[in-house]
Amino acid sequence: MVIKKIIFNILIILVVVMTLDFLFGRVLRHYYFKETSGFHYRTTYSMETTDADILIFGSSRANHHYIPELFEDSLKMTFYNTGRDGNGILFQTAVLKSALKRYSPKLIIIDYYGEFIKNDEAFEGLQSLLPYYRTHEEIREFITLKSSNERIKLLSEIYPFNSQILSIAIGNMERNKQRYDDKKGYVPLFTIWPSPIEIISKYEEYPVDTVKVEALRSFLDLAKRAKVRVLVIYSPIFEKFEKKQEIEICRDICSHEDIPFWDYSKDTLFLNHNNLFRDVQHLNDNGAKIFSNLLVSRIKHDLFRSTVNKVSESTSSK
Amino acid sequence: MVFTSFNFLIFFPLLVAVYYIAPIKSRWLVLLLFSYFFYINIKPVFSLLLGGVTLSTYVFTRLIDNTTNESGKKAYLIINIILILLPLFFFKYFGQINNSIISLLESVHLRWPLPEIKLILPIGISFYTFMAIGYTIDVYREEIEAEKNLGIVALFISFFPLILSGPIERAKNMLPQFNLLKKLDYEMVVQGLKWMLWGYFMKLVVADRIGIYVEAIYDNLQFHNGTSILFASILYPFQVYSDLGGYSLLAIGTAKVLGINVIQNFNRPFFSTTMSEFWRRWHISLISWLTDYVYTPLSFTFRKYGVWGIVIALLITFMISGIWHGAALTFVVWGFMQGIFLSIEALLKNRRTVFEKKYNLNNKIFYISFGILLTFILFASSQIFGRANNLNDAFLVYRKIFTTSGPLFIGNPSVFIFSLLSLSLLLAKDFTDEFIPGFLLFDSKNKIIRVIAYSSIIILILLIGVFDGGQFIYFKF
Amino acid sequence: MERTELVTKLTAVFRKVFNNDSLVLTDELTANDVDNWDSLSHMLLITEIENTFSIKFKLKDLNKMRKVGDMIDIIMSKF
Repeated sequence: MVIKKIIFNILIILVVVMTLDFLFGRVLRHYYFKETSGFHYRTTYSMETTDADILIFGSSRANHHYIPELFEDSLKMTFYNTGRDGNGILFQTAVLKSALKRYSPKLIIIDYYGEFIKNDEAFEGLQSLLPYYRTHEEIREFITLKSSNERIKLLSEIYPFNSQILSIAIGNMERNKQRYDDKKGYVPLFTIWPSPIEIISKYEEYPVDTVKVEALRSFLDLAKRAKVRVLVIYSPIFEKFEKKQEIEICRDICSHEDIPFWDYSKDTLFLNHNNLFRDVQHLNDNGAKIFSNLLVSRIKHDLFRSTVNKVSESTSSK
Repeated sequence: MVFTSFNFLIFFPLLVAVYYIAPIKSRWLVLLLFSYFFYINIKPVFSLLLGGVTLSTYVFTRLIDNTTNESGKKAYLIINIILILLPLFFFKYFGQINNSIISLLESVHLRWPLPEIKLILPIGISFYTFMAIGYTIDVYREEIEAEKNLGIVALFISFFPLILSGPIERAKNMLPQFNLLKKLDYEMVVQGLKWMLWGYFMKLVVADRIGIYVEAIYDNLQFHNGTSILFASILYPFQVYSDLGGYSLLAIGTAKVLGINVIQNFNRPFFSTTMSEFWRRWHISLISWLTDYVYTPLSFTFRKYGVWGIVIALLITFMISGIWHGAALTFVVWGFMQGIFLSIEALLKNRRTVFEKKYNLNNKIFYISFGILLTFILFASSQIFGRANNLNDAFLVYRKIFTTSGPLFIGNPSVFIFSLLSLSLLLAKDFTDEFIPGFLLFDSKNKIIRVIAYSSIIILILLIGVFDGGQFIYFKF
Repeated sequence: MERTELVTKLTAVFRKVFNNDSLVLTDELTANDVDNWDSLSHMLLITEIENTFSIKFKLKDLNKMRKVGDMIDIIMSKF
């Protein structure tokens, strides 16, 4: 019968595919978790290894603006930068959850960026979580947010590592590790933005996507429930504007949640100096140094002045 | 689009199962129901439009058949064409016409801004519109009898493999098949699945990957040098080929699995040695449609002008083709360029044939290679207008290619390398198909080789296919 | 006009339009069989035929011409 022939042949191919998928997938998984540098390594470190006192979360702006060395030297606390390019609030919440499962940091900073507008940007970066689905139960809810079919797709061993084969290879290379020596998650940017500052005169309100608002709230709640101090920062950006809807919304959320919100978008120390920026949205290494030092003294002064006493009280009582 | 969604992988096997289980006589109904189910799930409201076009076409084709009066027939033909084209014009060109009227009003200070209505284009409208019009004209020309079964007409116009992006089929080919659907044929199912597999490869592994790179360049022209822009402009035709070509293979393969033969849409176009040949190998169904329903009547009407009549017919036909692709001036320029290329070839044809015969050039590899290269350059240069976001951008592209150079933009190394590797694989396959027909993998006589070939492609799709729209390339450097 | 006379005259037209002095017409001949006979040159052929035989084709006639045999039949019907 024709149907039998078709089904039989499909089964043969299915068996071969599943075998190859298993083999390739396992190899990819093995080398993914063996990486010693790069995006994957830093995310794995953030989720599974770090026990730093201070963690910074965010997208590329977090990754390129906060220099752990400067925080550690001044505050005498360990610091890790979990920021990652092209990833949104949902990814960051997942990484936070994994970290909190293992320990309680003393301070969590989130560099918030992005509009609360309806688009797919928040779902950017959920692809990055796929390799962790198997071993990290706590982040599975985020992956199903991507689409209801993810669980079926994850039956494939290769799928979590789709498009990653080259990065996995590079991440395993000793040469890559030496080229980008580990600065506790921080990745410096060089070069200078050549153009003058862009002035945005139009303020247009967009319809707010409540999903995004809730996403930020869950991040903050997660930290609060773990009894960890949270700080929300909007780092410098090379644009002159009067108002940005997302900054106002962020400010509202923070005051509602009783969380400090530090807005550096109007700080002239940065707005007047294009040489501190690699491009409109990112400081270069020089800019990051200045910014990090600025934060360090403010944190020392505003956040830990009172808690320094509390910390010494609690350590002495142990 | 939809063929590459995960849900389709669930929808399709289900459909095939139901289709072949159902008695042969009712299979057309199964297809019709699934086609509407498919379409309604994309955008419910536009299925009303689809139904409207179907009803109108049914009524008027029957009227044409049942009228003996010649002018009556013509009237019905024209009325139906106008009725069918109205929604197409409205949706596709509304925005453009709207903006033109607005700027006109502004220039005489009569503009009073009210909230904008943003229209979304009903999916497939360009395609099913053309199919319906072609059918009506065929009935008028007495090449086919008007179909009496409304359901079959509805199926022809809404047939889901074709409705989204073609190929644009003819009633003469489809109606007889719908009226006499075949029983399960092993060879057809296998061939269909092979085409679908290669279609998925072309779309997910080649087209969508190249697209990420091309987008990073074309959406940020002011930041890139001429070298990178040139490279992206060379890649773009391949992106379109693997995108539309891959999608066509998915459509044709899907239909084949259901026992239905649909016209091929691409025939390894980049091996053409002239633009005339190119347009017989690229988007075949569209050109064929335009030839039969636009070019032939036009060139027939202008035949008293000899070669110049042909030139005018070509220009008009290809400008219509340009506009069909999109409501922007860039597409009009694109169409105009095609018309010019073909006109020049038509005008020089006889002289060239003499020249080629004299030096026996048609068998010389260097001449063939030269023809292939020249044709590609001509097409790629016109495609700049197809990709650029507006006329200014298109001219910027040309300006930069000829004036600035610099290091080639790599962006994300994975995107760059995957693009080149997968494109090489695609071109290698096309090359062997064209010049070494004996070399077969998918069609090898050896079952083991075939199974390994299929499996390898599936694994390759899993490894480097673009699944979620792909990562963006960080371009602001 | 007799069929054979028509075929002779038609052969001359074909040879002129397609620049091929050895072209031989058969009923089964189609555009695929003749070099340079495509949609671009087809209309030139049609015009030449109309002029030679002093007839006028209709668009409907064109679509009925699948091969040279059809063409001959249609031309015959004009007399």
